[in-house]
Amino acid sequence: MNSLPKNTPKESDRELLIAVASGNRRALEALYLAYHRRLARFLSRFTPAYENVEEIINDTFMVVWRSAKDFRNASQVSTWIIGIAYRTALKSLRRQKNHASNANLDNYPEQTFDPTSAAEMHDWLKHGLNRLPTEQRLTLELAYHMGHSLEEIAVITECPVGTVKARMFHAREKLRQYLPGLGGST
Amino acid sequence: MSNPLCNEAAAIEHEAVAQLIPWYVNETLNDRERARVERHISGCPACRNDLALEKRIYQGVSAASAVEYMPTASLNRLREKLDGKPVADAQEAVAALMPRHRRLRHWRGVTAASIAVMAAAIGLLAADRWLQDRGRRAAPQFYTVTIDGARSPDEVVRAVFSPNITLVELQSLLDEAQLRIISGPSEAGVYSLAAKSNLPVSKSLALLRQHAAVRFAEGTNAAAAHRGAP
Repeated sequence: MNSLPKNTPKESDRELLIAVASGNRRALEALYLAYHRRLARFLSRFTPAYENVEEIINDTFMVVWRSAKDFRNASQVSTWIIGIAYRTALKSLRRQKNHASNANLDNYPEQTFDPTSAAEMHDWLKHGLNRLPTEQRLTLELAYHMGHSLEEIAVITECPVGTVKARMFHAREKLRQYLPGLGGST
Repeated sequence: MSNPLCNEAAAIEHEAVAQLIPWYVNETLNDRERARVERHISGCPACRNDLALEKRIYQGVSAASAVEYMPTASLNRLREKLDGKPVADAQEAVAALMPRHRRLRHWRGVTAASIAVMAAAIGLLAADRWLQDRGRRAAPQFYTVTIDGARSPDEVVRAVFSPNITLVELQSLLDEAQLRIISGPSEAGVYSLAAKSNLPVSKSLALLRQHAAVRFAEGTNAAAAHRGAP
């Protein structure tokens, strides 16, 4: 296959993936370029080192390359790729946490913030999000940073909708405990 | 006295709606669920407070990152991985073929070379920082699509694309117009483009301007000097 599709993003993603399944490297590279910015922005929120971001993205596309033939039309290509990135990131973040991040998390004092400016809000969120368990944070970021629906997050994380709701509920509760002034709770 | 069954039903509805609030905020609920949330919120001050808080968190989390990653270098490493010849492995394979005493000498050499490369890189970074600081002092602190000077001597076109355009579509469009990105996008979404061939800049501009995803495309001063420019 020499020519790459020029349809709507959803259609072209599907056609590209079909081409990837037949071993077309150009199609894989086109998908890579189409998703790189979105994935990099998402993943850089969890790990500041670009080497880690790149490793997760490249591992994700190695899985896409090997598993394209197993893709089922039941889900969207974007949900499928982000699901692979989610699981790859989860593994990588757990590894990182075991090595270093525990110390970082412990460095945050058990204090609360009362953000009155956008900059303070940003700082509070950054610290608050860092304190969340990985699955809860990923769920919150998938909803708020990536804009995914409840059902899409359930597909991406391979969890029942109820589990996604529960993770989001606990994430919000923890953020609120970290910021009683904003959340109104104690 | 209120009916306990009604109270229980109201509490269940309150819990169910509270769990939907994040997806009400990111606007991904279907019409039925959205109406359900709005109906409950209109009579529940606690959920209204919850919604206000959630909107602030959503705005904070969804704020776009200022960092842009260029995918080309990463894609090259993926290509190496797919070809099964990562750079690090290749270096180790070369070392493994050497006798032991030469291997040690080789690694000493590699270490010395690494230190030299790092020192050179630090020097270059310092020089680059100094040049940037000097440039910042001399040049305006902002950049717009209409500023007179070109950012690079190669820059012939400045363009702004629709945020919906994919990288693949953008690359395809630039290939067609025989242009390449030399920098961008800026905070205003402006790309600096250089010519890839001898195609007249006027033709490249015409190709860009007829594309629906191009919001703005203009030649720079350097474009006039470029061969074939009008």
